Amino acid sequence: MIKKKAQEELIGFALIIILVAIIGLIFLGFSLKNSQKEIVESYEVESFIQAFLQYTTDCGNYRENYLPIQKLISACVDDKTCLDERDSCDVLSSTLTGIIEESWKVDGDRPIQGYELKIVLEDGTEVIPLISKGNSTKNSKGVLQPFMPLGENYEIYFTVYY
Amino acid sequence: MKRQKSKILICSSLTSQTKAQLKIQQMVFMLLAVTLFFVLVGMLVLALRFAGIKESATEIEEKNAMLLVTRIANSPEFSCGNAFGKSRTNCIDADKVMMLKKNIDKYDNFWGRETNIEIRKIYPKGNVVCTIRNYPDCNLINLQSEEIHAEHSNFVSLCRKDLINGEVYDKCELAKIMVSYKDWREVQK
Repeated sequence: MIKKKAQEELIGFALIIILVAIIGLIFLGFSLKNSQKEIVESYEVESFIQAFLQYTTDCGNYRENYLPIQKLISACVDDKTCLDERDSCDVLSSTLTGIIEESWKVDGDRPIQGYELKIVLEDGTEVIPLISKGNSTKNSKGVLQPFMPLGENYEIYFTVYY
Repeated sequence: MKRQKSKILICSSLTSQTKAQLKIQQMVFMLLAVTLFFVLVGMLVLALRFAGIKESATEIEEKNAMLLVTRIANSPEFSCGNAFGKSRTNCIDADKVMMLKKNIDKYDNFWGRETNIEIRKIYPKGNVVCTIRNYPDCNLINLQSEEIHAEHSNFVSLCRKDLINGEVYDKCELAKIMVSYKDWREVQK
């Protein structure tokens, strides 16, 4: 009789423990579900393209003092040179490399693992050689910006890996 | 015989009285333990809930900062408008921002409590803080003149009118606009 009572109490105790454990797990699940800040937000990548296209380069032409990147891309597509005889594509490539290196640092133990910038014409021809650094990982945020100026249409692809 | 009987009766009533007292004692202890248990659980729940309140307050502030940083560049206080030809997105008029910095006391709590806004030039890079005296040869415009800790940032184009060989032209540089927010978790630490 005493043995049976003890067994019943043990079963009750075990049931309480199981119940408490289930409740604890539910709480844990809820607390882990809370969203965390992304390393790279989509709006950052989109704004980056919009912002760098407006950057005033040190390449001038006869109509304007200095060309913004958006117009320099068109100048590069049309094989034009700057007022100081530099090739517009060289200026474009070096300026973009400098901008991206300062904006998305990949060296050391930073969360950004790499990036890629591609400017291509409609037929797939590259306007400037691919600008890239670091590794391509599974996690990435990318954006495609098409342009339809008066001359040839082109597209800008920018991807950040983290 | 009668005396013996009454003795037995007294004894048995005494034993049942002690037993009852023991039972009452047991119940009192049990009630005390149960009450204490619930009080402790209640306190734990309250502590957890209050900790959660601070977390969620910070989360709301963070969300507001994120929303602010995505839109602030296009707000009338910052945007280029049509000052640089056609209308541009994510373009900040640097001259306008410097004037805003000068009159920042009129914008107390305008973008939220303890929200600070900073614009830092990324390319070309530098660490010179902008004042009315050194502008535009500087790299950092801090609206509230305070250091930024917790922040959300976004890329913008920082434009101004510049002069070259006596001719005015539009100069745009790449910058990052940063919005700091109040971290409630650090309050009362």
